[in-house]
Amino acid sequence: METTFRILPVLENKKLGPYHKITLKDAQMYNHAECGNFIMIGLQGLDPYLPRPFSFLEGNKESFSILVKMKGRGTELLSKVKKGDKLKVLGPLGKAFCPPEKGVLIAGGIGIAPVYYQSGWMKGGILFYGAKSRKDLILTREFKEKGFKVRTITEEDGGLVTDLLKKHTDELNGKQIFICGTNEMIRNIKRILNIEQIDKAYAYVEKRMGCGLGGCKSCAVKTVEGYKLVCTEGPIFPLKEVKIA
Amino acid sequence: MLDLSVKLGPLELKNPIILASGVWDFPYTKIIDFKRLGGVVCKGVSLKPKEGNPPPRITETPCGVINSIGLENKGLEYFEREILPELKKLRTHIFVNIFGESVEEFKKVASKIKEVAGLEVNISCPNVSRGGDKFARDPKIVFSITKAVCEETELPVIVKLTPSIENIEETAQAAKEGGAMAVTASNTFPGLVIDIERKKPLFKRITGGLSGPAIKPLALYNVYKIKNAVDIPIIGSGGIADYRDVLEYLIAGAAAVQLGSIIFNNPLAPIEILDNLECWIREKGYENLKEVNKK
Repeated sequence: METTFRILPVLENKKLGPYHKITLKDAQMYNHAECGNFIMIGLQGLDPYLPRPFSFLEGNKESFSILVKMKGRGTELLSKVKKGDKLKVLGPLGKAFCPPEKGVLIAGGIGIAPVYYQSGWMKGGILFYGAKSRKDLILTREFKEKGFKVRTITEEDGGLVTDLLKKHTDELNGKQIFICGTNEMIRNIKRILNIEQIDKAYAYVEKRMGCGLGGCKSCAVKTVEGYKLVCTEGPIFPLKEVKIA
Repeated sequence: MLDLSVKLGPLELKNPIILASGVWDFPYTKIIDFKRLGGVVCKGVSLKPKEGNPPPRITETPCGVINSIGLENKGLEYFEREILPELKKLRTHIFVNIFGESVEEFKKVASKIKEVAGLEVNISCPNVSRGGDKFARDPKIVFSITKAVCEETELPVIVKLTPSIENIEETAQAAKEGGAMAVTASNTFPGLVIDIERKKPLFKRITGGLSGPAIKPLALYNVYKIKNAVDIPIIGSGGIADYRDVLEYLIAGAAAVQLGSIIFNNPLAPIEILDNLECWIREKGYENLKEVNKK
C-alpha cells in the first residue's frame, strides 16, 4: 500500500438516496486501496481546517468514489463540490484485512458505504440493512447482483436493524460478521449476538479524526487493551475487543 | 539549493522548519521527506505511560483546531526501547519533548535521554489535570523545573511556554535563568467548545487547546514580546500555514519555527513552505535566510 497526498479533480457529484456520491478522477488510488482502507478528504484552503475520513464506496482504473452525508459545516461544503473542483486526498490509510468469500454484512444508514466496498472482495452472503426510510435504502439491487441475500428494515416501517437480526439470528451462525453503523447500533448488536457470533464479528469504528496518520492521537477508541487509534490500528476492530461508549 | 540554515543557540539547523510535538508520528515519513526538515520534536514522553483523555479529543474551529488529547504516551521505558532508536534514524535534528507531573519526574526523564539534539521541556500542556500549564504560569516553577532538567542533562534544553499569562517575558526570563538554551513560544491556547445537542462542553475536561491559523497573531505577539525583553533564542510556534507566516515569525525575532496542526490540513505544508522560502530569498536577491531582517 502506497499512501500519497494529492490534489484530485471531482469527476461527478450526484445524489444517491439521501447522500452525495462524489467521484474523483484518479488512476492510482484504487490500485493501492485494499479492503478496510479509508481516505482523508479536505477542501482546499484553510477553512474548513481539517480533512474528513471517508470509506471508499467503489472504484475502477480511472476513478473512485465516496459517500457523503451532510452532518455539519464541513460535509455540507463538501456535498456542494462540482465537476472540476479540486480536493485534497490523503490515502489509502488504515489497516487492510482479507474478507471471507461469504459472510454477513450489517449496515445502518451511511454505514452501507464500507460494507459495499467490502462486498467487492466477496462472492455473496447476507446483508442486513437498516435506514430511516425506504427511500434512504441504496445499492440493494447491486448487492443482490453480487449474490447477497438482502434483508432491509426502516424506521418508517417501525424497525431497526437490530430487530431484523433478532428475527434471523440463526442466519449468523458460523459466519464472519461485519458491522458498520452508529455507536448505539454496534452496542445493541453486541447485546443480541451470542458468544460464538461475537467471536467472529468485526466492527467498523468511526471517530473524529485529525490527521489519519497516527500523528494527533485524536481518534482513540477504548478496547480491552486500552485506547487504540482508529486511523492506524483500525478502522476495523474485533467486536469482542472494542468497547463502544 | 539556497542556504536556509539558521542558528539556534549552539545548534545549526539546515533550515528554520521544525515539526512540533504532538502532531506527527512515523507514518508521516511516507508523505514528508524528513531529511529536508530543520528538526522535529517528538510527542511528549512521561516517566509512566499515560492513557490520554477520553474521546472526543479533537474538533475543528474556524481556521483552527482544538484538542484534548491529554499527552497520551507509552512511558519512558517504551520510548527508550521502541521509539528513540527509530527517531535517531530520521536524518534531521531530533528534539525530545518531555513531560512530568513533578520536578522529580522531569529529572528522571531528562536524565535518560541521550544522543539527540536537545530536550523540549513541556510545562505548558493545557489538557492535563496534574502539572501541565499550571507550571508554566509561575516564573518560580519555570525556573526550578528548567534548572533541575539542566542539571540532569548535557543536552541543550528548550522550554515550551504557555501563552495563557499576561507577561510571557517573565517566564521566558525564568527559563533563561534556569539554564534554558531556548524557549518555544508558545503552546496552544485554552478554549471551549459546546456541544449544542448535549448542551454541555464537548470535551470531558471542559476545555481544550486551540491551535491553527486562528491563533497566529496571538502567538506571534508572544515572540515579539520575548524578543524585546529577554536575550534568548526563540522558537516561534502557533498557526503557521505558509512561508509568509514563517517570515513574520523570523522578522518578529524567532530563530526557528515549529509547524503544528497545518500538517493535518496539508501534510506537505512543511515541504511547500521550504520551497517557497527559497523562492522568496531568490526574488529578494538575498544570499541566505540570515538576511531576512535586512532593511
